[in-house]
Formats: sequence, structure tokens, C-alpha cells
Amino acid sequence: MDMVVDDVLTELEFSGYSTTSTTTTTVTTDDEYGCTWNDWSPVVDWDELSGPHDDFHDLIELMIDDNSTAAYHHHVGNAEAAAADAPEMGVAAAEDSKGLRLVHLLMAAAEALTGATKSRELARVILVRLKELVSPHDGTNMERLAAHFTEALQGLLEGAGGGHNKHMLGTGSHHHHHHHDDHHQTDVIAAFQLLQDMSPYVKFGHFTANQAILEAVTHDRRVHIVDYDIMEGIQWASLMQALVSRKDGPPAPHLRITAVSRGGSGRRFIGTVQETGRRLTAFAASIGQPFSFHQCKLDSDETFRPSALKLVRGEALVFNCMLHLPHFNYRAPESVASFLCGAKVLNSRLVTLVEEEVGPTGDGGFMGQFMDSLHHYSAVYDSLEAGFPMQGRARALVERVFLGPRIFGALARIYLARGDDERHSWGEWLAVAGFRPLSVSFANHCQAKLLLGLFNDGYRVEELANNRLVLGWKSRRLLSASIWTSPDCDFFN
Amino acid sequence: MFQSKKVGVNMNSHDRGGNGMSCVQGDSGLVLTTDPKPRLRWTVELHDRFVDAVAQLGGPDKATPKTIMRVMGVKGLTLYHLKSHLQKFRLGKQPHKEFNDHSSKDGEIRGLDLQRNTASSSGIMGRSMNDCNVHFTDAIRMQMEVQRRFHEQLEVQRHLQLRIEAQGKYMQTILEKACQTLAADHHNNMPSASVSGGSYNKLNQGQGGVADINLGSTSMKDFGHHELNFPSLQDLNIYGGGDQQQLNMDRSSPSPVVDHQQHSHGGSFNIPLNNSESHVMGVKKRPNPYGSGKNPTSLMMWSDDLRLQDLGTSSTSQDHHHHHHDSDHPAANSMSEIYETKPNLSGDHATETSTTASDLNNKLERPSPRRAPLLSAHDHRVKNPLVVMHTAGANPMPQARNSPFR
Repeated sequence: MDMVVDDVLTELEFSGYSTTSTTTTTVTTDDEYGCTWNDWSPVVDWDELSGPHDDFHDLIELMIDDNSTAAYHHHVGNAEAAAADAPEMGVAAAEDSKGLRLVHLLMAAAEALTGATKSRELARVILVRLKELVSPHDGTNMERLAAHFTEALQGLLEGAGGGHNKHMLGTGSHHHHHHHDDHHQTDVIAAFQLLQDMSPYVKFGHFTANQAILEAVTHDRRVHIVDYDIMEGIQWASLMQALVSRKDGPPAPHLRITAVSRGGSGRRFIGTVQETGRRLTAFAASIGQPFSFHQCKLDSDETFRPSALKLVRGEALVFNCMLHLPHFNYRAPESVASFLCGAKVLNSRLVTLVEEEVGPTGDGGFMGQFMDSLHHYSAVYDSLEAGFPMQGRARALVERVFLGPRIFGALARIYLARGDDERHSWGEWLAVAGFRPLSVSFANHCQAKLLLGLFNDGYRVEELANNRLVLGWKSRRLLSASIWTSPDCDFFN
Repeated sequence: MFQSKKVGVNMNSHDRGGNGMSCVQGDSGLVLTTDPKPRLRWTVELHDRFVDAVAQLGGPDKATPKTIMRVMGVKGLTLYHLKSHLQKFRLGKQPHKEFNDHSSKDGEIRGLDLQRNTASSSGIMGRSMNDCNVHFTDAIRMQMEVQRRFHEQLEVQRHLQLRIEAQGKYMQTILEKACQTLAADHHNNMPSASVSGGSYNKLNQGQGGVADINLGSTSMKDFGHHELNFPSLQDLNIYGGGDQQQLNMDRSSPSPVVDHQQHSHGGSFNIPLNNSESHVMGVKKRPNPYGSGKNPTSLMMWSDDLRLQDLGTSSTSQDHHHHHHDSDHPAANSMSEIYETKPNLSGDHATETSTTASDLNNKLERPSPRRAPLLSAHDHRVKNPLVVMHTAGANPMPQARNSPFR
């Protein structure tokens, strides 16, 4: 038993647990394994653990026990770490180690849920312990993040018995009802305002898409935009402003927006699509933009039917697909696919796509994607903190209203798709479907850089693959905005 | 007359360049620098005119700065400019000299090494003025490209400001609408106008939400205030970080508008509603949940349209809420410095416009003031354990996560 446990623990140690005690270990580790963060899961290969449950349980018990860090290291037999451990466990290091411990617990829980040595009971135990350690309202970034991940895992655990998981996708806050109250509308508004002020995600997505649209319709008199998820319509305010004041091409082109609406699913945000339409109409009137608004209902299974769309001859058709802005829900993949297919069928001149950027997960399966997700949202939390460093409660609100449900949805998706091939982005989907990429203009790239400059130096924008701008925080890419044209559209030839 | 449009606009497009030399565009479209020696940027167009003028006057040897100036007829062009340029022109006709007078000190668009080429291209111009030199045209093309990029970047910046502003205006309509909707709902549900302790506490526990609060008010917008205040803040557990059941609140004079029975209020709720102010900036007055309790110095940044009052620290606030809130709240003052209020949320459009340039700048710059001081505190610390584990050799520095900032 000892040997088996030792193997695993040794690997755990390499995975950075000893960072708090020595720094050199980490260096060698990385060099030895040459691994990136995303490769850790394979490194910590629980499947190698072939012993009976008891070994696993002991290990987890050790991890869970807060006071046993020294004992932990002793168990490992790493005298060096243990010796260094005691004196250096100052507050700072404790912070680090707590964060690490949380991560390890999360990993363990995830593994217990889905790994080869699956044990729902063990997962439950770990999650209970996690819940004691973290709260979504206070603590450090890592603690709050862990709280939301814990909740998400809990949801998986509870739903793991049945097909309940499907419900977790794409319906906003409904699945949260047993955890806390539905988000009050004012919460949502406040959180949204805060989100926009503390981070550039929303503006980046909107402005990049809008700039691409503007450039594609410079000489058109009629523009028709089909918006997959219009939410409250804020993207179009700045587009209208730009259209009204454009210098080249026919002035004041007529803008028509068709909003895709879903029947009766819980809209987390303010009001309905109709209200958004009224608001947009009023705004357009206030700035003198000729405008009309339409709705296009999705089927009950959220499939988009191109025939439901009213088209006008001579208009420039644009399909706008905002998918993963921080305040958005996940949408069922079939629905998104049907929408993009519709763009192809209707020969849309432009398709603007904004989605979250997924890291390379290799063949890590659930664990790999879980860790990737953890890393992703951890970067988002960090970026929000950089925007509002002192306003922890404000950030907690944004996290609770938007990111928590997102994390929930993200894990549900990953869970459902486990065992499938590596995740593909929608950009890849478009490429495979024959859409042609359109290059990002200098002005667009420049605008993105200027926008990020208003926020924080930690953000950066990269231009990838010629038709994508990717917004990232520090070394983590987070949000990708790309532009495409239909395979058979010859406007850009 | 000299068309300003044609002149390449060689301005530093953004103050982020910051290398001490700045450019000013004069009325005529000339580009002048503001360092001690007034240097004129000789663009292609300008130079063409110069050459034309010189030719008209019979060549560089015959032409004088004065006559050239008269012939060119360009405003802002001084004898000094022409003297030096003419001299270079004359010398430049001899191929062995190369002039790099137009320095590349103000290369400010990063990554554009064309700036240096621009400098040397001027020299090249001087040298091979009348030759149809391939090198020459390339240099000119590069210079034009650089200028075009500068110009474009300026345009982008200008548009960005306008777009952000438009988005902000739209957000305001959302907030307004929400305010009114909630006020309407509340008004319908709430016939009476008294606050009961029980209902308030119920609210604090996060149940029943707004519907349990009865608040007297004479204006709909005041309702809006309350609606916005209570439900959100309750979730934030703002009450001094303590027990929600025992809420102490500054119980000073109530607002004349709102007939609170304040002994039942909890925590840091102070909703002094000032009639005159409330209809100027509809949903403005949100109490600062962080004023009391742990962190008197931290300010929470709510939306632009919602001002905070630092309740915990200022018990005098209620007395002065008739007047400008900001003046009495040092915390709120500094907050409002950082977080410029968007004017004109609802109602009184006459008082403020939302499109002044300073507003734009404020909106644009809003996040920036926070950046500089705070970045330095947070920059070097690797707080994220995921990042810590990821980066090799991360030094376990003292963590800032539970820093005094919080």
C-alpha cells in the first residue's frame, strides 16, 4: 500500500505542492516534465493507482486535513519538504497552500466523479469538505472560485444519476434555485454594469464584431443583422452610432435587426426580446438611425430555421453570433450549429463570432478539460480583480451573478461531452463547414489595443490565424472574436 | 490653398507615447513640433509645393526663403523653416551628403520601424530630389504609409470614444427602464408607507425581496432607489460583516422625502433621498456597503449612475443630504473622482448633457486612475495558485490577497 500511495504522492508533490517550501523543486519539475499547466492531469495519473479504495481514501483524508501538512510531507518521505515546511508556513505561504489545497481537492473531487476509480461517495465527502472551506462571497479569488466550482461539481454529482445534466445547459439560473434565490433583476443590472466597467470583455466582443460589420457594409444602403442572442441589445448601440456618423458610403443606411428569440426559457437578464427591440428602436430614433426590429423564433428545441427569416432584396446580410461573453449562458451546441448553418444557407455576407478560447487539452478527457476550465476562470477572476482590486464584494457579485452559473454550465458541458473527442471551437466548425476567414483590419486591431489600454496592462490582444483577435489575460487566452464569410458569398473576392 | 486633408497628419496619436516631444497641428494643417526649435515636418505634399515654388523662382540658387514663402502661400510656414529646408535642398542636390535632420525621436507607434525609414527618407529626398529613383519612391511610399497609419490610429481612437459613449448612453436607458419598472411594481404592491422592522429583517434575510418593504415616498424615482438598493445589497452581506439580524444604522434625521421609520433599518442603509437631486440623477444614491464594518477606506464601485455614500464613517451625511452628496463624503468624493458619474440618468435632461468632451474623457479614462497606484501593489505578486504552480521558479512572496486593501 505504501508504495502505491507513494507513487501518487510523489507526483502530487511534483505538481507543485512543495512550492510553498522550496522554489527549486518547481523549476526542476517543469524542466523534467516540460509540462504546461494543462498537462498536469496526465501527470497526476490517478488511474495508475490500482490499489483498493482505502488507499485513495487515505490520501484524500490527508489532503483534507488542514493540519496535516507536515504529516503529509512526512508521509511522502520527503524530509526536505517537511523540514522546510514548518518554519516557512507563514501567513503568505499558508495562503498559497490553501489555494493549492483547494485546487487539489477540486481535482480529487472531479477525479472521484469521473475517473477510473469512480466513487460518488468519495466525491461527496470531498465536496462537503470543500464547502466548509470556501464561500462564494468572501475570501481570496481562489476561494471564491473554488466555491463556484464546488457547487458545479455538486450539481454534477446530484445529476450524475440521471439525465438531469442536460438541464444544466443553457437555461440560466434555473438550476440554481435550490442553492440560492433567483438573481434579482437589479442584481443583474448592477452586475452587468460592473462587469463592463471592470473588464473589457463585453466591449471587446462587441466592438470587434461591429468594426468588422462596418467595414463589410461601407457601401450598402440596407443592412440586415441576425443576432443569435441579442440579450439587451447593447452591442448595437455603438454600431448605430458608427453607422450614423460614417463618412464614406451612403449616409444613414437602413439597419434592420432580427433577434433570435427563444420560447420561454428563463431569461436571466432584463426583460424580453420585445423590450430590447423597443429600447433599440427608441435609441435609434434618438440618434437618427433608420431602424427596424424583428424577431425570429427558434423551434422548441432551439433550432434555427432559415425559412423563418424575412429577407429583403439588396440588403447586406450579417449573422452575429456572440456566444461566450461573461454574462452569457451556454447555448446548446445543436442550436448554435443550426444558426451557423443558416448563415451558410442564406449566404450571409458576414459572420461575426465571439466565443471563449479553450486551451489545448490534449486527450485529457474530463480531467484535462476540468483543469483547463479551472485555469480559464481563474484567469478571469484575476482579471476582474485587476480591474477592481479593492472592491471585493462588487466582484463577488459579478462572479455570483454571471460567472458562477457559467462555471456550472461549463462543467456540465464538459461532463456531458466526456469521452468525446477533444473540444472544438466554433471557429474550427466554421472553417470545416467551408466558411472563409476574413482578415482583421488594422483599424480593428488598433481599436482593440486602444480599448485594452483603457483597462489594465495585463490584458493583451493577439491576432491569430489572420481572422481572429484573441483577448487574453496575462498568459491565458480567454475570448476570441473572428470574422468569416459564407462559402458561396462572392462579395469579398 | 493648402488643403489640410492632404497633409499627412504626423501627430502623436495618444499620450501614451510619452517621450517628451509632442506635435501640434496648426490651423493650416501644418505639423509643428513643440520643442524649443520649431521643427516643421516636411511631408511629401509640402515638399512638392516647395519644389514647385523653387522651380517657379528659377531654381534653388535663385530662390530665396522670402520669395518661396510668398509663392507657396502656406500659413504658418516661417522663414526659418524655409531657410533650413532650402539649404538642405541645395546641398541635397549633391549626392554625397545625407541629412537626417528630421529625427525619429517621436517615433511613437510601437513596432513601426518605418519611422526611422521616414527619417532617412527625408535625407534621401534631399539627395535625389529630381531623380526618378526607385529607392526614392519606396521611401516616399513608406513615409506615406506611416503617416496613413498615424492618421488611422487617430481616427480609431476618436471613433472608440464615440462608441463607448454610445454604449454608455444605451446602458442608461436600460437602467432608467429598470428603475421605472421596479418603481411601478413596487408602487402597485405597496399601498401603505411605513417601514416595519419585521419586514425589513425579512428582507435582510434575503427572502421575499423587495415586496416586503413599505417605504413612503413622494416620487416614483425614490421607489426606484429603494428597489435598487435593497435587493442587491442584501446579497452582498453588507452589514458590517456581521449578523444580519442586528443591524445598526445611523439613525439620524431622515430624509424629508422618505418617511423612514429608521429604527427598523439595519446596517448601513441610509437612503437620504433628496428630491432635487434624485430627479437629476435618478438612481444615484446607493449606500456604500463597505463604509461600515471592516474596511472604511475601501470603496465599492457600483455603476456609474449610482453614487455611494460612505455611511459607516459619516454620520453627518443625513444632515447634509440636501446638498451635494459628494462634498460631505470624503470617501464618496474620492470615489466619484475615480468613478465619474454619468449625468442624466432619468428625468431632467436639461441639467446635464452627456456628450461633453470632458465626460468622454472621464468615461474613457475612468478605469485608468485606479491602474497606476494599484498595479504596483499587485503586479509582482503571484497570487493565483494555479499560476504559481505553473510558472517555474515562482517565488513564494507574501501574498497580497488578503491584503489591507480589502
